[in-house]
Amino acid sequence: MNPANPGDNPAFEPGNYARPNQNWTCGRATEGQPCRAGPDAKGRCGAKAECRPRLEIKPGQTKGRWHCTRPEACESGPLPDGRCSRPVARCSPVPTLRLWRARASLAAVAAACAALLICLGVPPWRGRFISPGQLSQPHSSAAFAALASTNHLGGGCAACHVAGNSGPRGLMARAARARPGMGDFHGLLTASAAAPTRMDAACLECHAGKNFHHPAAPAISCVFCHKEHHGAAMAAATDAQCDFCHGNAATMSAVSAMPRIHHFATDHPEFRFIAEKWRDPDTLQFNHQLHLTSDSIPKLPGGRKLDCAFCHQPDASGAFMRPVNFERNCRVCHSLQFDPQTPELALPHGSVRFVTAFLHSLPAQYARLAKREGAADSDAFVQHKLAALRSQFGSGAELERRVFFSTATVGPEEQIGTLSGATRAVFPGCAYCHEVKAGPEGPEVTKPLMRERWLPDAKFSHASHAGIACARCHDAVESRDTADIILPPRETCLECHSPRGGVAHSCVECHNYHNPAPTVAAR
Amino acid sequence: MRRFRRQHLLGTTALIVAAIAALLLHRAFHRTLPDYAFVTGWILFAAMLVLAVYNARKKLPFLPLGNSESWLQIHIYLGFFTVLLFFIHLNFRLPRGWLDISLASLFALVAASGVAGLFLSRILPRRLSTRGGEVIHEQIAPLRHVLKTESEMIALGPAASSPAVAEFYTRRLAPFFAGPKNAWAHLFESRRPVHSLLAELEDLRRTGSEAERGALEKLADLVRRKDGLDYHRALQLTLKLWLFIHVPLTYALLIFTLAHIAIVFAFSGGAQ
Repeated sequence: MNPANPGDNPAFEPGNYARPNQNWTCGRATEGQPCRAGPDAKGRCGAKAECRPRLEIKPGQTKGRWHCTRPEACESGPLPDGRCSRPVARCSPVPTLRLWRARASLAAVAAACAALLICLGVPPWRGRFISPGQLSQPHSSAAFAALASTNHLGGGCAACHVAGNSGPRGLMARAARARPGMGDFHGLLTASAAAPTRMDAACLECHAGKNFHHPAAPAISCVFCHKEHHGAAMAAATDAQCDFCHGNAATMSAVSAMPRIHHFATDHPEFRFIAEKWRDPDTLQFNHQLHLTSDSIPKLPGGRKLDCAFCHQPDASGAFMRPVNFERNCRVCHSLQFDPQTPELALPHGSVRFVTAFLHSLPAQYARLAKREGAADSDAFVQHKLAALRSQFGSGAELERRVFFSTATVGPEEQIGTLSGATRAVFPGCAYCHEVKAGPEGPEVTKPLMRERWLPDAKFSHASHAGIACARCHDAVESRDTADIILPPRETCLECHSPRGGVAHSCVECHNYHNPAPTVAAR
Repeated sequence: MRRFRRQHLLGTTALIVAAIAALLLHRAFHRTLPDYAFVTGWILFAAMLVLAVYNARKKLPFLPLGNSESWLQIHIYLGFFTVLLFFIHLNFRLPRGWLDISLASLFALVAASGVAGLFLSRILPRRLSTRGGEVIHEQIAPLRHVLKTESEMIALGPAASSPAVAEFYTRRLAPFFAGPKNAWAHLFESRRPVHSLLAELEDLRRTGSEAERGALEKLADLVRRKDGLDYHRALQLTLKLWLFIHVPLTYALLIFTLAHIAIVFAFSGGAQ
């Protein structure tokens, strides 16, 4: 025998095929002496005797005679009762690898079924086992659980899912009744991803209405945009979700004249205030260019140059700017001093009535000033001042007319100092800044209409853009007219908010779907 | 060999084309097709069923369902493609949640064991051919018994007359012939254990009498043949044992998949 070829051992019988596709082999096969019968399918030893004797009854015989059926009959022959006289020792059949593999498979199946039954059948474990990820913070809080209970929703998963509290059998039943169903491939392929589902009813138990951003917007399922189980912060809607309507020509033409929009960076139209050439209707006269670039603009106290930040200061949130206020932002230069010789005296601001009353009470105002400054002869002081005014304006009526209606920037009216007295500013008259009309009961000043938000539905935060110079977005130095809306065009935003700029540029960066956001309430 | 290469080329080409097509379809539809995860899930499940049917096909050789070799080729290439389908179904993200993680882990184990089995079935038969000899796995135990009997006859039988050989046999060779030995060494192609044993035999032979030398040479021959049997057993058993992971886990995977399908539909928006 070749040592490298153990199969050619003459002691081994090649014809003795071991039948590896059967589950059991003879226990003596490992000794090279398997019995001829072999084990049965259930692993029981089939060995009984070396042969199965055959009964032969010749004519005329009644009992007959048992004969050995071996090829070479044994010497002793069968026993009188027909049993073989040479019984074979029984063995313990050995499982084949095939049977061991079947047993391993069976064990794996049993373990899998047991694990599933335990994990799906024990309520405290079911939710944790099934949940495909962490719920958002609002939906995993104790407050949500309490609200769900108040609004008669189920506890745990059942607050949103109809199968939330179902055991294994209930899950199967719910799955079988789902629409589209498990076997409904056509339904799965053609179903609308945004179509409202039964789960929306659970959302609306707590959220009062969907408040779509457009009255004619098609009804959309909450879960189409709000993907749960994606972590503590609910995932923001993607452009694809907006694209469901805004990228669909039929939907858009049905509800508005807006073009199809897929992404801000690709086909978002120019902002409406530019495309439609909106003008600021405010009647207040203001020249940004003059205030930012002119040498005639006085320095602020401390020698600081007037800049954007002096008038435009962020609100508490930092997102938007506080409205410009005369007392805070304008009076430092425009002190409303009407008497060049008496810079201490200034007109009140904000009410025609107050200004008129002030002018009509000028003697008293001068007398109060004389007292404040400790003048020896108050009457002489007042008369002197009034005489000076009279010489400049001619009469009280003329003074009042000029205060309200004059817009002249030359002449004696400009000789008025600032509040600090350090520099000077002009006060030609209210009409220099305001729209002043002659009314039946005197001058009428149109109240300035200072619009705080031009794009009220858009999200924006100045705080997020704090590192960018104002002029990069707001071209104020080129604006000479109040009617100019000094907001940036889309192209300016695209410098950053685009793939090339590398800053987030999805729809929800600026837009809100819900308008206003749905409130949460107990029923 | 040429046929095998042609099959390999054809299968690899088909796999690459299918993979590219699947990735292109994924790119085109994963954002637009409603219920995309349901669709990819069903396709993945169908592929897994086809892969699992291969085992059943082997048990039904009498059915005219194509030959086993073709089924094996389909099983291998479809197996690789199913791994891609699995990632597409997951949208190339990691699974979250215990059920999904369990399912993904089972899939990974089944796929990894399949790749390991493919690797073993490509490497080990070649090593067995290189070593020489052919023996059916089920015949190894009887053959080992024969070798054990022969060695006992030489060392301890009526014709044996050397106490030194008998002592050496009892101490060192009897455990060696008693059962399979050195499986790990054979797997890693190390012959150090048998060389060590043969070296001890050679030491004994050099100092032995003429009769002892003859007996020891016969024993050395039996040791080599037993080592050959052990080598075959180790490699052939490895070729069979990887299926002890691949097949049972496949059944467990299918059961978890069925549970996953039921749960996904029961918790879908359309659940009633």
